[in-house]
Amino acid sequence: MRLTEEKVKAWLRENSFPVPEGSAAANPSEASVIAERLGGVAVKAIVPTGRRGKAGAVHLVDTPEEAAEAANTLIGQTINGYPVKEVYVEAKFPIDAEYYLSFAFGARAPKVVISRHGGVEIEQTFGRDPDAVVTADADPLTDLRPWDAVSLWERAGVEGPVLARLGRLTSQLYKAFRDADAIMIECNPIAVDGNGHLGLVGAMMEIDDNALFRHRDWAGEGSGFGAEGRILNERELAVIRANETLPGGALRYTELDGNIGVLMGGGGASLLQHDMVVDFGGKLANHTDFSPAPSIDKPLAVLNAILENPNTKGLLLSFNYLQLLPCNVLVNALCEALRQHEIDARTFPVVVRVFGPGEDEARAMVEAFPGVRYLPPKASLDDAVKLIVDLTNEAVSREGAA
Amino acid sequence: MSILIDESTRVLVQGITGSQGRFDTRYCLAYGTNIVAGVTPGRGGQDVEGVPVYNTVEAGVAASGATASVIYVPAAGIKDAVLEAVDAGIEVIVALTENVPRHDAAIAVAATRAAGTWLIGFNTNGMISPGKSKLGGIGGDRADELYVPGRVGVCSRSGGMSAELSAALAAGGYGVSTCVSMGGDPIIGNDMSEYARQLEADPDTDAMLFYGEPGSDLEQGLARAMRDGEINKPVVALIAGVFQESHPKGLSFGHVAAMIRTEDDSASAKQKLLAEAGAHIAHRLGEIPELLNQALS
Repeated sequence: MRLTEEKVKAWLRENSFPVPEGSAAANPSEASVIAERLGGVAVKAIVPTGRRGKAGAVHLVDTPEEAAEAANTLIGQTINGYPVKEVYVEAKFPIDAEYYLSFAFGARAPKVVISRHGGVEIEQTFGRDPDAVVTADADPLTDLRPWDAVSLWERAGVEGPVLARLGRLTSQLYKAFRDADAIMIECNPIAVDGNGHLGLVGAMMEIDDNALFRHRDWAGEGSGFGAEGRILNERELAVIRANETLPGGALRYTELDGNIGVLMGGGGASLLQHDMVVDFGGKLANHTDFSPAPSIDKPLAVLNAILENPNTKGLLLSFNYLQLLPCNVLVNALCEALRQHEIDARTFPVVVRVFGPGEDEARAMVEAFPGVRYLPPKASLDDAVKLIVDLTNEAVSREGAA
Repeated sequence: MSILIDESTRVLVQGITGSQGRFDTRYCLAYGTNIVAGVTPGRGGQDVEGVPVYNTVEAGVAASGATASVIYVPAAGIKDAVLEAVDAGIEVIVALTENVPRHDAAIAVAATRAAGTWLIGFNTNGMISPGKSKLGGIGGDRADELYVPGRVGVCSRSGGMSAELSAALAAGGYGVSTCVSMGGDPIIGNDMSEYARQLEADPDTDAMLFYGEPGSDLEQGLARAMRDGEINKPVVALIAGVFQESHPKGLSFGHVAAMIRTEDDSASAKQKLLAEAGAHIAHRLGEIPELLNQALS
């Protein structure tokens, strides 16, 4: 879950980290009131993405009127794919020097990346001056101790009184990062003013969705956007609602631009079958990610979305051996969806490959739906995919000819 | 012989009194796994399927001499369960829990590696040495049908795919020496190259089959071990998820670990890297037996 700037800053403040004063404004007059109190401010679009400066999403202004004008310009714009609904109005920090710090997960442990050059993208710094960037793995068993952090900053070429301050801040921030179950924090820049005081001026943070059970306070604090700012359609939103309200494991549904609808089970089988659809000359109408659920409600929610998608011209229900749900539960959901949407499987191809507990009952259920192809035992994933691609292509060309 | 466990390995089950723990324990015992102790705090003195239950792993190990543990504990408690097993001297851990919080996984894996404990998982359905022993839910009640004994070692990033791979081998006249579902979470205990070294050293394994996905540096490590001459038995690899490269980055597909992070950990980059290191690359399950025929001829 990506947090937007005002939430990251509030969290930092609560944890006693030095953050410039600021708050969110939903319209120009709110922005002007905040600027009145703070003086010179930065007005920044609230969107869950980096590179805002480059995208023109940060305005530095001196008066409340200018702050209102900046808010007026930004609200309603789209920045890096995200619509701007609010701006963050923050006191300008008198910057004497800038540093860079981030924690993000590597293969086994959090990686620490620091640089004595802040305020620019870290890739750029690394390209220009690789010695100014230091990367290290944190030891999950000891955390990042102040002296570990000091030694990293020293390696990055930092010296003088700021070294101790940066070391302490880095160590404390690592603890907060771990306690918040964050999987990424980027502070760019960490600024230092003329008196040697630090300020976390730029800050981004992502929380581990799998750890939300112990951070109830974060629930609902996400940016509310799909990946890359993609606007979700009503069917995708309906599946998200079903996922949040119905019992069972995580359920995801993403529409693509093809015509073969799929409910696939097992993350690996989903990936492999998607590749094979492409190989055999087909295109998927959607992708799904499916975890066990106690009843037919969750699979039915996905099947409804698939069958409501006007581009869907064929349906593949194909799971790994013995995966996730008894066959009869899954196929019961299929039959219910076919009934609700009045699908005639003789013209709208439906291929089923689910094996394991409840299989006999499942096979008996599809008898009521002529045209449904329930593959025989030992049919492979290859067989299932080849069949649905061929049948869907046939159905589409028949439709075109009619 | 087989890798990591055999029919004599004494196995403990953490969380044996939960529904999944009971269910899998019944099928594992029926398959021949030597399950000697269970652990659930507060249930010490009870038994499950005739297996005595203890309150702590330490007590279970002391009473039974167990050296392997299968863990059925929800995500909130899995870190402590792994640390407890390490502390009690367990040598091989199978941690079935999926979607483990990242910091917890990092701490648990750092602890197992520091202790030299082998950790299968997180997000695994277990491992099986056909005809000898199995740990976890792998194969369910149809393990005999899905996992035919033979001489190909299988290591899969996906639990569900381990059954498909083994079925593909059986369809082509091959069988499995050991099949491991290594774990599909972003952070897992042991790497592909480490499984490859185990299979290389196993006299009952003639060739290896790996299944991988986009994300992670697992295949890079395997390719390095092959190039360095540590792995000399034939390697067949199936890497799924090539389609993702034609979609915008960041869409969520499949396992969390399958998110594309950089160009280098895409499925096609992994295929290329492994092919250059001498692996035979399968694009479909049906191609696997033919590639083995070529590699073993």
